[in-house]
Amino acid sequence: MSVSIPDLCEELKRYVGRSERTDLGIIRRKSFQRFAIAADNLNPVFFEADSAKAAGYSDVVAPPLFLSSVRNWQVGPPRIMGGGQDLELHAPVTDGARVSMELRLDGVEMKQGRSGDLLLIKVTQIYRDDADLPLVTCRETFIAR
Amino acid sequence: MHRHQLCFEDVKTGAALTPLVKRPTTVQLFRFSAVTWNAHRIHFDKPYAITEGYPDVLVQAHLHGSFLYQAVADWAGPRARVNGFRWQNRAIAVAGDELTCSGTVVKADAGVVECELEERNRKGELCASGWARVELPRRG
Repeated sequence: MSVSIPDLCEELKRYVGRSERTDLGIIRRKSFQRFAIAADNLNPVFFEADSAKAAGYSDVVAPPLFLSSVRNWQVGPPRIMGGGQDLELHAPVTDGARVSMELRLDGVEMKQGRSGDLLLIKVTQIYRDDADLPLVTCRETFIAR
Repeated sequence: MHRHQLCFEDVKTGAALTPLVKRPTTVQLFRFSAVTWNAHRIHFDKPYAITEGYPDVLVQAHLHGSFLYQAVADWAGPRARVNGFRWQNRAIAVAGDELTCSGTVVKADAGVVECELEERNRKGELCASGWARVELPRRG
């Protein structure tokens, strides 16, 4: 990353409290099933409509961490690490759902890490379907170095 | 595939979740980076990971979370609904590590249970801790 951590901190502070909404497009089963395979979680509710219906869903559903695990739905800086998430899982995500994400910057804080300055970036992400119903609310702190 | 369904009446505070053991491979970590659009080289480029002081490619934060989620969801069964879940990464894990996810029921009230979760490596070190709130079906 070409920008220094102190400069990035100052830059981001201008955006604290602001939010931005992005259309993530239509979610397809192939995407969330690949996520499930990569996570080594072959629960049939992600893959088989009959199993999903027997479990009370309308069709196969996405693993609940799918939306909030995708690092960046566009191109973004690579040297950012997750430290954990706090999730409210409001409703399942099914094939064909059109999803938007509202991203709000809650705070930035600079700290001294093992190998120099690091930046803690606190965000809230709210994922909604096209009827504006919330699917997932995710609070997360990222670490940028 | 038959999956056991837990009912609220089956669960008491203090009960242990069925442990889940995971052994992430380099191929799995590469795939997880790809599907999550995570371009950080510490997860797929071992020589690079070593330059950052790590012994091998790192398990992604969200993969630790996914393992803990699976532990609670598999234990609870397909008709249960996990509606609150959080985790925090505590220590690194690398490809080839054996990670055991376990948990304990800390609250059971009105059809809803809350569980504390943890993921440890073979040395017993805590790699991630977590919490889940699960709505369970009733009997009958």
